[in-house]
Amino acid sequence: MSRSRFDIRAQPGFGFITLFTFFALYLPIAALVVYSFNGAESLSQWGGFSSRWFVAAWQNSAVQDAAIRSLVIALWAAGLATVAALMAALATTRTAPYRGQTLKYALINQPLMVPEIVTAVALLIVFSRIKVWTGYSGLGYLVLAHTAFCIPFAYLPIRARLESMDLTLERAAADLYATRWKTFRHVTLPLLRPAVIAGFMLAFVISLDDVVITEFVKSGGQDTLPTYMLGQLRRETTPEINAIATVFLALSTVLVVIFFFINRKKQ
Amino acid sequence: MTDTRTTAAHGGAIGLHGIKKWFGTFQAVDDVTLDIRPNEFFTLLGPSGCGKTTLLRMIAGFELPTEGQILLDGADISSLLPNQRPVNTVFQNYALFPHLSVAENIAFGLKMLGRPKAEIGTVVNDMLRLVHLEGRGDNPVTQLSGGQQQRVALARALAPRPKVLLLDEPLSALDLKLRKSMQMELKRLQLETGITFVFVTHDQEEALTMSDRIAVMSAGTVRQVGSPWDIYDRPAERFVADFIGETNFLEADVVSVSGSAARVRLSSGAEISASFPADAVPTGSVTIVVRPEHARAGAPTGMSVLRGAVHDIVYLGTDTHLHMHLDDGTTFTVRQQNARSGHCGFSKGDTVGIDFSDGVAQILRD
Repeated sequence: MSRSRFDIRAQPGFGFITLFTFFALYLPIAALVVYSFNGAESLSQWGGFSSRWFVAAWQNSAVQDAAIRSLVIALWAAGLATVAALMAALATTRTAPYRGQTLKYALINQPLMVPEIVTAVALLIVFSRIKVWTGYSGLGYLVLAHTAFCIPFAYLPIRARLESMDLTLERAAADLYATRWKTFRHVTLPLLRPAVIAGFMLAFVISLDDVVITEFVKSGGQDTLPTYMLGQLRRETTPEINAIATVFLALSTVLVVIFFFINRKKQ
Repeated sequence: MTDTRTTAAHGGAIGLHGIKKWFGTFQAVDDVTLDIRPNEFFTLLGPSGCGKTTLLRMIAGFELPTEGQILLDGADISSLLPNQRPVNTVFQNYALFPHLSVAENIAFGLKMLGRPKAEIGTVVNDMLRLVHLEGRGDNPVTQLSGGQQQRVALARALAPRPKVLLLDEPLSALDLKLRKSMQMELKRLQLETGITFVFVTHDQEEALTMSDRIAVMSAGTVRQVGSPWDIYDRPAERFVADFIGETNFLEADVVSVSGSAARVRLSSGAEISASFPADAVPTGSVTIVVRPEHARAGAPTGMSVLRGAVHDIVYLGTDTHLHMHLDDGTTFTVRQQNARSGHCGFSKGDTVGIDFSDGVAQILRD
């Protein structure tokens, strides 16, 4: 391929900026991974290669509990958010454009626009009242809160796919004796599957990663992995949290890769 | 092929009674009443925006008429959902399901009707044979050519053996050669299956080639219904004459009327006989139409019906068009078949006489 004079790659400084950006993005992560194999007690002082902190983290029951709690919340929240987002996307794309449509999109995507800390405080107030009234203080509050802020992440890819979908396909299904439910089941949903999977995946990762809202909403003993790590930072810090973060990184990378291949195979 | 024919459902009759359709303040269909006969190839022909597609969608059930009734074999289906009507559609963009194979697309309707697997398999094979796609059942539809997708769309719509097949400009996306062969193909399928076809097109040639009867539409109304011959040779009004083919309009005065023919006097003074629409007995001054191929040009004689000067000569391969200015200033075109090779025998500026046989002229209603 011949490079024209106007090719962006031929501009002065292109190489430097690219390198700098990549370093800024990946150097800290690389450092984290390297230091998770640090044999010393210190976070940043190198004391020889060792996997002792992985073993320590693995045997730490608080870490185990937090990890399982994180996964349970993320699965529930991503699942519920995807269902809600799918219904919202169907409802918002199956109408002729009208005044106030943008407002409705904004309302659905509220969690993307309101600062998270505001929502966190608001949920703290509301949930603490509900806790008093009902006496219930289980994981439900966290699942509910996570579902709410996961909805836009599931909604956006599904809506994008629906907007580019040929509506005559649904009309053709109806013409060929499919009821509305059968049309959804045999035509709409199969065509949406990649977007639904992508939406679920995004929601899952967003839930897994959340700190602010979780910190405000959780009751005692309901630490998720991120809030547990945050809590550890306030006490004596060991490379254990490096190890946990590295496992976290590996886990989400594997998830993303799996979903990517599932999606590619379907198409 | 034979079992398709013997088990073919008999085509249904569609009755449209006083159909009106408003989209907000826009009236798409204005009081249409039509009777489509069983087993016929019926075409709704008109320019874009004339309401023909809206009418088709109302028969399919995608739109509900604001007023009026739609009958299928005498039963009112106006308020049924699309999936409750034994009517299938071939869509303009085919609308094949991209996630299903050719066979799964064809089987879709039967599957939704809950037919047994064995029956579905048999019908799918019959259909693949009918549209010449044997052995292609397992192909993804996304890998087919435009013409093949068209055939799958047809097979998919025919597989549940609907009483009526609706076709919404299905050939418009194909190139000319393919379109010609699909025209023959559609006609064959209609005869073989015995299903009533309702075909929507803006292409007058397509309509003339395939139809048993044509309804010419304009601005939401039906202007004329008849056989291709009726529509072409006996247009009832200016819009129909103008929309279908090329034509010459001449002013004339009615001299006498007897039976189904009238004598009219042209501006040249010549008197000719002309036919007229059954519901409009002509009087006074009228407009008549003469098709360019029904007229002949030659050396002017005292017997010539019209006289004019050649203004332009257009060579079209099969024919030559002679554009003329008549003595009274109106324009007139003669189409002359190029029966032999070489020059047409006329030059620009020549004065020529124009003749046409008695009865080729048609008096318009308006």
